[in-house]
Amino acid sequence: MDATSPDKIIVEGFQHFFETADGPVQATGLIDLKIPAAEFVTLVGPSGCGKTTLLKAIAGFITPTRGRIVCDGKTVTGPGRDRGVVFQELAILPWRTVRRNIGHGLEIAGVPKAERERTVARLVALTGLKGFEDRYPHELSGGMRQRVAVARTWAADPDIILMDEPFAAVDAMTRLTLQEELASLTFSTRKTVFFITHSVDEAVFLADRVLVMSKRPGRIKASIEVPRRKAGGRDWESFTTDPEMQAICEQVLRLVRDERMDGAARPGETPDPLKEAS
Amino acid sequence: MSDAKPVRTDTLTWKLLPALPFVALIAGWSIYWLIARPPVGTLPPAWAVTEALWQLAADGELLQNTLASLGRLLLGTTVGVVTGVVGGFLVGLNRRAADFLNPLVVFFNAISGIVWLPLMIGWLGIGTALVVFLIWNTVFFLVFQNTVLGVRLVPPVLEQSVETLGGSRLHIILNVTLPGALPYILSGIRSGLGFGWRALIAAELVGATVGLGQMIFRAAEFHRADIIIAGCLVIGLLGVLMDRYLLAPIEKHTIERWGLVTPSRGI
Amino acid sequence: MTMTAVSAPAAAGAPPRRPSPLASGLLGAGKFLAPFAAVVALWWAIKAGFDLPDRILVSPYQVLVTFWNLLSRGVLADYAATSLYQIGVAVVVSAVVGIPLGFAIGSNAYVARALGLFLRFFQGVSGISWLPLAIIWFGFTDTTVQVIVVYTLVVPVIFNTMLGVRAIPPSYALALRSLGAGTFRVVKDVYLPGALPSIVVGLRLGMGYGWRALIAAEMLIRQGGLGDLIFGARTFGQIDRIICGMIAIGVLYVVVDRLIVQPIENLTVARWGVLRK
Ligand SMILES: Nc1ncnc2c1ncn2[C@@H]1O[C@H](COP(=O)(O)OP(=O)(O)OP(=O)(O)O)[C@@H](O)[C@H]1O
Ligand SMILES: [Mg+2]
Repeated sequence: MDATSPDKIIVEGFQHFFETADGPVQATGLIDLKIPAAEFVTLVGPSGCGKTTLLKAIAGFITPTRGRIVCDGKTVTGPGRDRGVVFQELAILPWRTVRRNIGHGLEIAGVPKAERERTVARLVALTGLKGFEDRYPHELSGGMRQRVAVARTWAADPDIILMDEPFAAVDAMTRLTLQEELASLTFSTRKTVFFITHSVDEAVFLADRVLVMSKRPGRIKASIEVPRRKAGGRDWESFTTDPEMQAICEQVLRLVRDERMDGAARPGETPDPLKEAS
Repeated sequence: MSDAKPVRTDTLTWKLLPALPFVALIAGWSIYWLIARPPVGTLPPAWAVTEALWQLAADGELLQNTLASLGRLLLGTTVGVVTGVVGGFLVGLNRRAADFLNPLVVFFNAISGIVWLPLMIGWLGIGTALVVFLIWNTVFFLVFQNTVLGVRLVPPVLEQSVETLGGSRLHIILNVTLPGALPYILSGIRSGLGFGWRALIAAELVGATVGLGQMIFRAAEFHRADIIIAGCLVIGLLGVLMDRYLLAPIEKHTIERWGLVTPSRGI
Repeated sequence: MTMTAVSAPAAAGAPPRRPSPLASGLLGAGKFLAPFAAVVALWWAIKAGFDLPDRILVSPYQVLVTFWNLLSRGVLADYAATSLYQIGVAVVVSAVVGIPLGFAIGSNAYVARALGLFLRFFQGVSGISWLPLAIIWFGFTDTTVQVIVVYTLVVPVIFNTMLGVRAIPPSYALALRSLGAGTFRVVKDVYLPGALPSIVVGLRLGMGYGWRALIAAEMLIRQGGLGDLIFGARTFGQIDRIICGMIAIGVLYVVVDRLIVQPIENLTVARWGVLRK
């Protein structure tokens, strides 16, 4: 792989099985994927189709059963500072205050305290956590904790940000702000983002490209380009009134919905769980 | 049952209720003693126990024995905690070692503590070394097993998240695994201290020449029931005080502050 | 965190390759015995390496011979039967006394208030501390041992029953009452099954504590039992007998705990879906 390739992340012939007590379980189908630098890619797909598995493989926590993953021209063998992760589960440390959680990555990198404090203060303001800097996570609401997790990853300033449904537990109002901030921030800093969500609106709003996965074992069944974000940012007001955007939303929604229904099942029915498992 | 009406806690009855069984016990004891007049060596009157306690305290015997016991407890528990935590981390972080050692841990845990007394008397002789060994053996397994459990139960995602921030293995062990396992470690230390104290008394009954256990065992030979009861009161009181003023505050300042829950213990 | 790579066929649900039951059984037994083999080897090396006399340490082989002797002459069975009988009686007595008491404390605030401190106080004085007094009262007899063991065993039963009763959401009982159930039915259908897993846990813990107290008491009372066996052997410097007795104590405890008590606990805990690690 030559280092000058425009693709920041390359997933090649990826396929993953989990070893369980009852033998191997296939978590994803065959996946090939290229994400150019500074692209914002969102991934939607039915629950259990393997989204988190793919993300964890890119992060370096899972060694692919088949295929390989290349970031910045280097094959991924483990986690690294260049790829920040916001996990689906809450993953901030209960024994650190908000301030020390957000500054943790900088602390590890040996950034001097004064500079660290400045960065933390900026992110605290950005994520609306002012006044809570010295609280412990259990003293915050669920949404606030998730904002701490997002801020911690941003503070470490990685090139690639991998996010697994980061806003699922955040209240609707804050979510809108965070999404707008994320869109403009990642654009201006030219971050490469891989973002998993269940919300079609969110996926289209944030993305340069939306990927749709089929149900387990999931493959990438569609890739939809979203016209370049103008002037970097987006806002929900213009998004909801933009017919082009709404058309894309509808298209993605249709693709996702198709996945949820088997040929046999009628609309509105949930697929037979036994059938899905086999 | 618990679907009963709410309880009024501001009444005098409610406030005095905890004293009731103690008062009843002492009253029943005194009445029995006044009517039946059992030999003092078998059952002394309640006031004789206070007298014995005073006597023991006055001639320094109580202090000497208490200090001997507490010193052994401190030594045995410290060694037990250090070896238990270190061993627990090594094994908790290493699946293969854990799988290999597990059968041994199960077996030696089943014979931990006092069961070693006969063998160890031969090796270590009667005295502090023997008692300290038995305390260590009791404390070690409680701390070790709790540490292994605690290390295992730290959510992997916490460790992974710090790994993505660039944290080294050592950084993660010290900043994530250790505090994450702390509730279990502390709970192990807490019950270790409780059971170590019990093991100490049992060990001292025959395995020492001074100490609270030896004091009450010798009193049995001389039929001094008053000294035994006084000794038991001191033993119980010290056990409760250590738990309340030594370990409970540590939990309050760490795991409660962090909003983690204390894993429930037997009692 | 790395997952093991699997080279199985790509199709989901492909038949997993697993070893035959016999092979995996043998493997399991080997895995279980290997660490003990290591300990025995170490023991042997120490014995031979330092050339220790038999009154300090006997060889594993000597222990095996003695074990066989004790077993074939029924000596071991005799001592073990005494211990098992004692612990069995103590479990029954503690269940009969402790469970109703635990229910009373768990369900009635006044009883809880009245007895809480009292129980906590006596819990602080371990059973074995009362041994000298019990010797004065009951002499060097089985009764003394029994008293100490029951004292030790009953407290965890009471406390865990109490915790079990307290943990039942009041809405369960209310729901049944609204269906017209009487107190008896509420106790039978809600409190008893709800508290059962916790009661079993209490009995199991109590047995563990009680077993140790039993061995300790038997050592001093010397009226039979495995504690008597090992402490008696001490007087004659029979290290082989002591080690045999220790092995018997360990094995019996593990067997009773793992093969009888834990399955009951798993059954109740699993059936009621109470999560325990
Ligand atoms: N550690 C594991 N061991 C065994 N199977 C696993 C493991 N992790 C995930 N799986 C299985 O792999 C499949 C994909 O899981 P994954 O977590 O990637 O799904 P997902 O798309 O992220 O779902 P969701 O949207 O619900 O988060 C699932 O069927 C899951 O049961
Ligand atoms: Mg997921």
